[in-house]
Amino acid sequence: MALDVGVLLQVLFWGLYAGCIYILLATGLTLIFGVMKIVNFAHGELLMLGAYITATVFALTGINPYSIILLTMLILGVIGIAIERSSFRPILGTGKLNEIFISLGLIYVIQNAAALIWGDERQVLTSPYQTITIPLGPIQMPVDYLIIIMVTGLILVGLTLLLKKTSLGKAIRATSQNRKGAQIVGIDVERMDMITFGIGAGIAGAAGTLWVVSGQVFSPYIGSIPAIKAFAIIILGGLGSIPGAIIGGLIYGIAENGAAYFLGGAWKDAISFLILIVVLIFRPTGLFGESGE
Amino acid sequence: MLGRISWISIGIALAIAVLFPPLSGMSFHVLNVAIIMLIFILFSSAWNFLAYSGQASLGHAAFFGIGGYISTILARSAGYASFATILVGGCVAAFVGFLLGLTCVRLKEWFLAMVTFGFAVILQVVVATTLSETTGGWDGMISPRLIPISVDNYLVIEYYVILAATIVSIVAIYLIIRSRAGLAFAAIRENEVEAQAAGINPVSWKLIAFTISSFLAGISGALMVHHIGFISPEVFSAENSFWPVIYSIFGGLGTISGPIIGTTILTIVWDGLKELGLTYERFIIIGLLLIIVVIFLPRGLVSLPEKIRERRAQRKKE
Repeated sequence: MALDVGVLLQVLFWGLYAGCIYILLATGLTLIFGVMKIVNFAHGELLMLGAYITATVFALTGINPYSIILLTMLILGVIGIAIERSSFRPILGTGKLNEIFISLGLIYVIQNAAALIWGDERQVLTSPYQTITIPLGPIQMPVDYLIIIMVTGLILVGLTLLLKKTSLGKAIRATSQNRKGAQIVGIDVERMDMITFGIGAGIAGAAGTLWVVSGQVFSPYIGSIPAIKAFAIIILGGLGSIPGAIIGGLIYGIAENGAAYFLGGAWKDAISFLILIVVLIFRPTGLFGESGE
Repeated sequence: MLGRISWISIGIALAIAVLFPPLSGMSFHVLNVAIIMLIFILFSSAWNFLAYSGQASLGHAAFFGIGGYISTILARSAGYASFATILVGGCVAAFVGFLLGLTCVRLKEWFLAMVTFGFAVILQVVVATTLSETTGGWDGMISPRLIPISVDNYLVIEYYVILAATIVSIVAIYLIIRSRAGLAFAAIRENEVEAQAAGINPVSWKLIAFTISSFLAGISGALMVHHIGFISPEVFSAENSFWPVIYSIFGGLGTISGPIIGTTILTIVWDGLKELGLTYERFIIIGLLLIIVVIFLPRGLVSLPEKIRERRAQRKKE
C-alpha cells in the first residue's frame, strides 16, 4: 500500500474532525474535575441527549440544524445542573469509588430513558450542506467538517473569555485552585459546582449537536465510549488542564483514525486505550499530572 | 467470629440453595435463572474481593472472558468440558490478571477503572479480529456443555456442580479475608501510607488480590460459557463488567454476604420486571436503585437492619 499525501491528509482531517467531539467532551470533564474534583463517567450521555434534542427540534421546525446548537446547550445546561444537585452533590467527599458508581447508575438511567422516549433504532440526519465540499489539495473536504472545526474553536474561545475575563470565571478558577481559600474570600463554592457542571453539560450538548449535524449515526448508546475516551484524554493531558484536553483530543482523534485506516476499523476504540495503558505503565499519574489528585 | 444469627441465616440460605431444584418444580426456566444467578454470585464475589483491597475494576469481563475462551478451546479439542479445562481457564485468567495487575496496583481509583475498562475493550478486539482463527471471530463458537444434554436431569446436575463451585469459592474468600492477608488488604484499603508504615507492602498484597480475583472471575466465566453452550466476544462487553459492580454495591461493598444478597435480590427484581413486560424501564429502575443505594445506603443492603436500628434509637432519644 503506497502512502500518498491525499490519504494522509484525509486521515488527518477525519482525525481533526473526530478530535473536535473529544475536545468538547474532555474540556467539559476537565472543567468539572477542576472545580469539584469528581469525574462524571456519564458525561457522554449528555452528548447523546444533545444529539436527540437537536434532531427532535430539527424534525419539528425544519430550521438549519446548526442554529439549534444554542438551544441544545441551554437545555443540557439545565439538565446538568439537575444531575449535579440530585446525584453528585450528596456524595461529594465520600470517596472516589462512589462517583464511579453514581455515574454507572446515571448511564443506565439516561440511556434507557432516551431509548424509551426516542426508541433505540440507529438514526441519521442529513446536513443541509452535505453535498458541498471544498477542494483542499488532492482531497475534497466536506464543508460540514470545516464548520464543526470552526464552531469548536468558537466554543473554546468563548469558554476561555468567560473564564479569564468575567468575575464569574474568576470565581470558578479560584474554586478550582483552592476550594477552601475561595470559600474564605466569600465565593459560594456550591454555586460554582452547579454552574461549572451546567457549563460542562452544555458543551457536551454542543458536541451532540455537531455529532448529528455532521451526519454521524446516533442511537441512545453512542455516548459511553466517547466519554470514557475523553476521560482517557484528560488523564493524558493532565486532570483539570484545558490546554491538555485540547491537545489530547487532537492526538486521540488523529491516532484513532490513523489506526482505523491502517489496522482496520475494529482497532478504532482499542487504540485509545492502548495509548492510555502504555502511558500509565511509564507514568502512573498521566503525562502532565503531578500528584494524580 | 460469626454470631448465632449469622449461622442460622447461613443454614437457611444453604438449605434453600440445596432444596431449590425440587422446590422449583424442576422448571427449565427457573433452573436456568438460578444457575446464572449462582455464577454471577461467584463472579461478583470475585470482583468484591478485589474491592476489599481498595481496587475497583471496571473491566472484570476481561478475566470472565479469558476463563471462558481458554476453557472452551481446551474442551473443544478434548471433546468435553471438565474441571481441568475450567481450572486451566481460571489459571490463565489469573496469569493475565497478574500481568495487568503489575500496572494496575500502582494506579489510583479512576486510573485503575480506566485501565481495566480499556483492557476489556482491547481484549474484545484482539479476540474478535487478530485471534479469529482460534476463536471464531465475532461469530463466536459452540462451547461444550458442562453436563451433556444426553444425561438425564442434566440441568439439575449442572445446578449442583455450580452451587458447589460457588460455595467452595466463597468459603475460600472468607478464609482469606479472616487470615492475616485479609488484615493486610483492609489496612491497605483504609490507608495505604499507614499500612506501609506498619510494614505491609501494598504493591505485592494488591497484586495478590488482583491475581486471586482474576482467577475466580475466570472460573465463573468458564462455568458460564459451558452452561450456555456458546461463547462470542460479547462476553467481554461492558455489561458483563458492570453487573458484578452493581450487584456488589447493592448488597454491600467489601462484605462476604453483599454480593450474595445483591445478586439474589436484583436477579429476582430483574426477572420480575421482565415478567411485567418492561424492557428499558428495567434498566432505568436498576440505575435509580444504584444511585439511591450509593447516596442513602453506602454500605449496601446488608447494612439496612443496622441503619433501621440506629434510626429507632435516635427517635427514642428525641
